[in-house]
Order: sequence, then C-alpha cells, then structure tokens
Amino acid sequence: MEAVLEVSGLRVEYRGDGRTVVGADDVSFSIGAGEVFGLAGESGCGKSTIANAVMRLLKPPAEITAGSIRFQGRDVLALDARELRAFRWREIAMVFQSAMNSLNPVLTIGEQIVDIFTTHERMKKRAARERAGELLELVGIDPGRLKAYPHQLSGGMRQRVVIAMAVALRPRLLIMDEPTTALDVVVQQEIMAQIRDLQRELGFSILFITHDMSLMVELSDRMGVMYGGRIVELADAKDLFANPLHPYTEALMNAFPPLTGPRRELTGLFDAPRTADSCGFHVRCPEDRSNCSTNIPDLREAAPGRWVARSPEGGPR
Amino acid sequence: MTEPLLSVRGLTKDFQVGTVFSRRRVRAVNDVSFDLPAGRITALVGESGSGKSTIARCLARLEQPSAGQVLLDGEDILRTERRRASRAYRRKVQMVFQDPFGSLNPVHRIEHFLTRPLVLHGHQATPEALRELIKTVGLTEDMLQSYPHELSGGQRQRVSIARALAVEPRLILADEPTSMLDVSVRVGVLNLMRRLRDERNIAMLYITHDLGSARYLADTTMVMFAGELVEGGDALAVMDAPAHPYTRLLLSAVPDPERAGSYDPVERARLREAILNPTSCPYGDDGTCSRTEPVRHIVGEDDGQPHWVRCHLRAPASDIARRVLKATDRPDGEADDDTEKAETTAA
Repeated sequence: MEAVLEVSGLRVEYRGDGRTVVGADDVSFSIGAGEVFGLAGESGCGKSTIANAVMRLLKPPAEITAGSIRFQGRDVLALDARELRAFRWREIAMVFQSAMNSLNPVLTIGEQIVDIFTTHERMKKRAARERAGELLELVGIDPGRLKAYPHQLSGGMRQRVVIAMAVALRPRLLIMDEPTTALDVVVQQEIMAQIRDLQRELGFSILFITHDMSLMVELSDRMGVMYGGRIVELADAKDLFANPLHPYTEALMNAFPPLTGPRRELTGLFDAPRTADSCGFHVRCPEDRSNCSTNIPDLREAAPGRWVARSPEGGPR
Repeated sequence: MTEPLLSVRGLTKDFQVGTVFSRRRVRAVNDVSFDLPAGRITALVGESGSGKSTIARCLARLEQPSAGQVLLDGEDILRTERRRASRAYRRKVQMVFQDPFGSLNPVHRIEHFLTRPLVLHGHQATPEALRELIKTVGLTEDMLQSYPHELSGGQRQRVSIARALAVEPRLILADEPTSMLDVSVRVGVLNLMRRLRDERNIAMLYITHDLGSARYLADTTMVMFAGELVEGGDALAVMDAPAHPYTRLLLSAVPDPERAGSYDPVERARLREAILNPTSCPYGDDGTCSRTEPVRHIVGEDDGQPHWVRCHLRAPASDIARRVLKATDRPDGEADDDTEKAETTAA
C-alpha cells in the first residue's frame, strides 16, 4: 500500500529562554490510503505537536530540528508560503480540539462554509452556497440551517459543521485532534458514525488523535501510543488493545474505568512529569529495565507490524 | 436503610425561554424524587440536556425549583429558606464544579480559597488547618502559596474539593468533576472522592455522562432522561442488567472494543427514535407509554437496594401485583413516595 503520509525521525523542540523542551522526538509512522491511524496518549505527550507539525502550523518557539514529513512523495517541510496555502485544506484538513469553539460566532454557518469555496476554488457566491448546502446534507444537517449562527446549533451539530468544512475540498488526509472530547457519549457515537460514513464515501485517510483508547480502537486500523514525545508502541489497533506490550499502554487503558467485570481499584497514570533524560516510567515497569532509566528506548519490532519501545533484554511477555 | 441525609420529593424546574413576544416554558426537571444517604455516592447519569445539572443547581440553591420539596434532616429547605440559601445550609451542602479553570479566581493564591470558607463559616483559619486541608486532597503544603495558573487541571480540581471540604460538609454535589481533566489525573480524583466518602462519611451526588466512572465510583446510580428519572439501583446492577431502553442506549454509546456485538448506528438510531417517541417502543410495547406515565417497577434487589425502572414492559404480569404497585404509586403523577415505598418493599 502506498503511503499517503510518511513521517520519519521527526523531532520538535520548544525553545525557551535557557530551557529547551522536546515536544516530539524521533517520531516515525506512515498512513496508507484510506487508512485510519490513531495516536493516543495523555496531555502533553506530543500528539498535538505532531498534528501541528504535519499541517506546518508550528510557530516559534516550536522548531522542527530533525526528520522529514512527506505527503504523497512531496516534502511538506520544504513548501513555501504560496504552496502551503494550496496544500492546507485541499490536501490535508484538520478538525481541531474544541472544534465547537472554532467557528466564528458573528458569521452564519453558511458564510463560513461559502468562504472555503470562494477562497480555495474561486467559486462564485451562488455556486458556493449551493455546494455549502450539499455539504451540510452530507453530515445530516438540514441545508436550511445555513442561515443559523453557531450559537443556535447544539454542540454536536457544530461539530458536524466543522467536520463538513474539513472535508469540503475532498482532502486526502483528515487530521482530527480530539474531535469528540467535549461531547457526551451519545453525541460522540453519532459523530463517530458520521466520520465512518464520510470516510467510506470519500475515501480519505485519517490521523485520529485522542486519549480515549477504547474510542480509538473502535475507529482505527493501526495506532501508536505516545509518551513523553515518543511513540512507545505501534501496532494494529486490535492487537495492541488485546495484548499491550508496553507498560504505559496498559496504564493508559486502565485510566478508564471499565463497563464490565468486577469493580477493582484503579491507579492513575504516573503523576510526576518525565524529566529530560529519564523514561519516568521504568519505575513501574513490571520487569527490570534499568536501561530505560536514562531514556525511552527506541522502537523495536517485537513481531511483524508490532513495534514497542522496550529494552531488548526484556522481550515481549 | 438509615434515614437519608437529603431527600428530594417531586422536584420540578421550569425555565422561561424566548423573548417577551414568544415566551414559553421549558421543563428541565419533571417530578424527580430520590434520597441521598450519608456515606454513599449516588451517581446521576444521562446525556447533555437531560437536566442533571439543573438538579445539582437546585440542590445547591443556585436555582429556585418551581415545585417540590428538598428535605435536609427532615426539614424542607425550600420552605424555610426562600431563594438564597443560608450559611447554615451551605455549611452542610457544598458543590464542586465542572471547570477547575473557571472556578478559581486567578488573582488569589490557593491559601485564599481555603481560608475564605473557613472564616465565613466561623472556623479558625490556622496554618495547621490549611495544611491539614491541602494534605487531605493529596497536595503538598507549598502549593498553598501557588496561584491557580501554576497548577494542573487535576491539582486545581483537588483545590476545589479542598475548598468544599473546608466547612466539613455532609453532602458534596459534584457536577462532572472529572470531565475536563486529562486522563492521567482522572482516576486520581475519583479515588480521592471515594476516600472522602469512606473516611468522612460524606454523602455525594456525582453527576456525569461517563458511565464507566459512575460504575467505578458510585454505590447507587440513577439514570436521567429528558428531565425524568427512568431507572435506578445498585451501580453495578444498573450497568450490568439495564432494564430501561434508554439506559441500554446510553450503554451502547460507550466505546468498548470488548463489547460482544459491535456498535450499530442504524440500530441505535432506531432505539433513539423509539425513546424520543414512545409510541413505537422497539420492545413490543402497544403505546402504553404515550397514554399513561410509566410508574416505577422493582425488577430486582442488590445489596439491599431495590433496582427500579419506569417502563411499562416491566410491569408485573399478574393483575394483583399490578394493583398493589398502582395503589402505592398514585397514578395521578405524584411519585413522591416512590422511593420510600420501594424501600419498604425491599425491607
């Protein structure tokens, strides 16, 4: 399968006065055509940094210091301002975290969608309005709502509008950064079903970012778990969920109280932040990993297609 | 069961919406009755807009209910204290809000948030008292001198809980206390609430749409739909053997890769439609729901708690049993005594 997006060895640093924080380090993954790839992890693990890097949205003090991002063979990091303008939204579109609030409150939904077509496709207003109506229908909203202002729509509907806007130009890749975090479970499932339908219809690939492992496994084909700026496990989503190899993956799964089985005491994720040069997680690692005390180890292939960041002497359980 | 700390009977809240010309009433909470016993966590679950938070706001006296009684120690607080709650009430009932970023004033140090309730409610705000408080919620002493922006979301929510604890309340109303927190700290806050229940015998009303956490934390779970309670009982029983179609709908919406059948959007859309328009109940109902209000039926008992559901389909098969339940339920819509009756049945 030809990869739509290929990220390799990506390193992002946030450079402050006298202190540099590594937002992402040596991150490599690829997303095939029509594939849903998930990135899971807690706040601050670097998942949003990756998304912003792919969209070229990082601003100083953030800086990409190593690695490459290739989109359908093109070097994304080498695009100039004009090329970027054509690249964003047409090739890769993004649904942001708290997308509900990313709509402009003083413009109607219609004006905001029409804006996409007039700007990127140089369409006439009338034709653009027609397309905007079709787009709303695509996500199950009555086109009559084009005249509505964002505050007149419910949270779930606003989210659908944002998703409709993201797929307006038929991008090859859709990045979704925690698209349903602010919604309740019922609306969340409706949105997820909508996304699946759209994907089946339009055939784009998805980079799906969330901290909810269960949700991710339901949608994704393959997934990576990030911790401290690095990918610690990368595998087929179902395999990874059924048999997590890295202790952090297991901890992240246990951070959500389950709906079945006996009630047992859960422990939160490791509370202390990772320092510059220690894994921070080796302490609760079930096996002896003295090697990990200095850094998160590199990914190793434990089985075909299954990568895990553990010291070689450990081996898969 | 012992006497409940707080009893709610027939609580109803209407809101007026629209402009002067098109004013209409929206019933956010309709005839809700339940008990909150000391030392137990009661979860109230339901989707957005089902009226969960309105109940909490009514109990916190931030809203004046349109009808009903709220009995604290057997005294109807709505009658004795109109509109604004007295200090005496707030000393017993405290609230923890959803947004830890919005509920702490950014210009004050943490110390301030803990000193204020102590002083206002006539306690001594000694340094020892403050240290004790902050340690109870699992934070360190030096954080007393921090500002809210220096703390993480989880730490801020712990401060909110410490602030509620300062007056040694007997009931804490927690409105989605973990929904805005990162996964890495959520379980920590849940465990803290559990510890407070066990150590201090505090009653808690835990409002959430996260069914997993309700199952994890609560002793009793009540399911709310469109302003009404539709099912209630032992937290595990309600989740493991849901009796009401709406409870099943909620459960089916929770992402769970281990669920036997995968999630089916078509089936769920059908279920949702059926619940919103009770005439076409998917479980072979003949439209009884649309003609008469469903009453509470006991479907089981766990841990001394009755598991009840308001669904005609669960009505006892025999006519005699039905008559008994009807008599206790008062079909004129006053479900005031439901819970008490349920308890007598259980006992």
